Amino acid sequence: MTSAPTITPGVGSEEPKLASEPPGQESRRPTVCLVGAPNAGKTALMNALTGGGFQTANYPGVTVTLSRGKSKPEFGPEVALVDLPGVQSAVAPSPEEELSCKVLEGTHHSVRPDALILVIDATQLERHLKLAGFAARARKPMVIALTMMDLLARAGQSVNVSKLSAALGVPVIPVDGRTGWGVPELMAGLHRAIGEPSKQPNALAGLPDEPIASYAAVREIIESSGAVRKGNRLILAKDSLTARIDRVVLHRYLGFPVFLIILMSLFAAIFWAAQPFMDWIEAGFAAAGQLTLNVLPEGVLARFIAEGIFGGVGAVAVFFPQIVILFFLMTLLEDSGYLARGAALVDKPLSYLGLHGRSFVPMLSGYACAIPAVLAARTIPSKRERLLTIWILPLMSCSARLPVYALLLAALLPGSPWKAGLALSSIYVASLLTGALTAGLVSRLILRKRASSMLAMELPVYRKPLIKPTIRMTWSRSSAYLKRAGAPIAIISAIIWLVSNFGFGSRQEVAPGAPPPSFISVSELDHSFAAQGGQIIEPLLRPMGIDWRVGVGLISAFAAREVFVSSLAIVFHVAGDEDSQQEGLLEQMRTATFAGGAQRVFTPASIIGLMVFFFFSLQCLSTVAVVRSETNSWKIAGLQLLFYTGLGYLLSTATVQGLRFFGVA
Amino acid sequence: MLRLLDAAHNEWYLIESLEGPEEDCRRLLDLGLTPGEEMAVVQAAPLGDPLVVLIRGMRLALRRREASWIQVRQYV
Repeated sequence: MTSAPTITPGVGSEEPKLASEPPGQESRRPTVCLVGAPNAGKTALMNALTGGGFQTANYPGVTVTLSRGKSKPEFGPEVALVDLPGVQSAVAPSPEEELSCKVLEGTHHSVRPDALILVIDATQLERHLKLAGFAARARKPMVIALTMMDLLARAGQSVNVSKLSAALGVPVIPVDGRTGWGVPELMAGLHRAIGEPSKQPNALAGLPDEPIASYAAVREIIESSGAVRKGNRLILAKDSLTARIDRVVLHRYLGFPVFLIILMSLFAAIFWAAQPFMDWIEAGFAAAGQLTLNVLPEGVLARFIAEGIFGGVGAVAVFFPQIVILFFLMTLLEDSGYLARGAALVDKPLSYLGLHGRSFVPMLSGYACAIPAVLAARTIPSKRERLLTIWILPLMSCSARLPVYALLLAALLPGSPWKAGLALSSIYVASLLTGALTAGLVSRLILRKRASSMLAMELPVYRKPLIKPTIRMTWSRSSAYLKRAGAPIAIISAIIWLVSNFGFGSRQEVAPGAPPPSFISVSELDHSFAAQGGQIIEPLLRPMGIDWRVGVGLISAFAAREVFVSSLAIVFHVAGDEDSQQEGLLEQMRTATFAGGAQRVFTPASIIGLMVFFFFSLQCLSTVAVVRSETNSWKIAGLQLLFYTGLGYLLSTATVQGLRFFGVA
Repeated sequence: MLRLLDAAHNEWYLIESLEGPEEDCRRLLDLGLTPGEEMAVVQAAPLGDPLVVLIRGMRLALRRREASWIQVRQYV
């Protein structure tokens, strides 16, 4: 009972200015926080209140950071809305629960609520009212948004809103955030509550902190109000929709096959349905680059913008459709209620590896991109499991590796696409197994101290997701991802372009009669800083069976892995349009030899070695940046970078040397 | 008295007490697993763990370890 936060009533951030301050330009608009248990329908309500125009960094799982927005104009005077992550318990909270606790206690550095909207699931009144007691102690003006009214009938219950409101001393307004029903009334009630603080005693604020007494008090309030007509409490509801679906999706023999079918459909959609959109984006960025070259005067600046910015950002933006599809399907799975079942299904094997059932969502996202995956790990309650999940995420075969594997497999297995396909599938399965092995080893050898770990996870009632809110949610999640990942990617690709296109002036070839180049000058890739770096590390690359040109590709791949392909095209001087580029590159790779010799660079051994390198290496500085900000530790992020890149190097070298030993050049 | 872990499926039981790590039990109490409350195990996940239980109108996935802390008696 250590960390139960206490809220001293009336102390803290209390700023009783709202009612007294005259309305005017100077007066700050009130901040209103949405508070409620997970699955209470908060995020849908937030969407309805703001019209979907809120700033967010939501990722599948639940609300993971504070989403902020402002109320739509039709709901009266504007209020700033903040969607707080759901709080189950104030004891040993996950980072997101802790965040909500801070805001409610008035100790958060920027969010100071002036009023609260308590989001309460009507089908779980006791539990949600008890949790609301924690928020109510902040003694702010508050209203209750009663959600899930449509499910109430299904559960054979009814709630008399005015009786409940009278008993609690808090206005209760039934709403459905997904359709917008009741939302104008909720906002009207909120403005009334802010305008004239209620004289009625707030029964929720008086609830004891101790859970047993608190639950008893809540039950007493509900029962004496006569507001709730319940069906029989003791119904197993074996033929309810939820029970029937659970009997299939958690069935002893059907559970895992259903899970696998859902996952495979998800992957199929991510890879196939995204393809046409990816082609459009690729063409769009290529056209924008071309346009820049045509419009701007010829020179370094035009090339920097065209290649460094449009080229670099475009290389990453092509994955955006996959991420949108991932978010869309994850939101569907989450809203339908299946995601929690998936987590329950894999909790046992994952906890054997030191992970948590909830690790499954980040791991799944990791197959599209490690960045949203790392962020999704925030929903894992224990720090140790969260850290371990983040630790193995770089092993999940993200889609930026796909173009690299595609090129290398085409070079390794020319003319047999089905073999390449089989090899690619094996790589995906192997990445999952390697992640599992790594988690198991790290949890047993390094993070040995087993801290308390709990599942105790609500399995929400199945509901048919509504398409419009799902699309809105997908968009807000995807655009948040773009904002988050966009800047580092643009900066890193700009830097890599600069080091590949500038070099020491003394190294540059100068046309006869031209002025000598300055100390640092525009350079061909062969004489650039990147090339010099590559040549310096060539002795390190030789054991991997590759030369400095491939090394330059590997270095540039730290912007994003698939940049490897375009860099190789540049170092091997492959010209031509998009379609012939891959063919030209493959042709160059077949004939490339080490400098001053006849020894070929791309042999079966070195190609397999490169695939091993890409399999392990953490070649994505954006991931490193996100891990640093999520763990708040440069040490962990740096260690992860060194560990995986070092492991990739060692295993790649071992593979190449081993293959050569057994006669495979 | 028996542990919820050993309780028959699809039968109602009354919670007697929680006997486990203090912080973890407090979390279960916060979730509504308070003494005197009725609960039932409705099924187990495919690997036998976690269990799916009903409590206060909520379906909850509980690990077997968590279910072993919950002392219950038959509801009559």
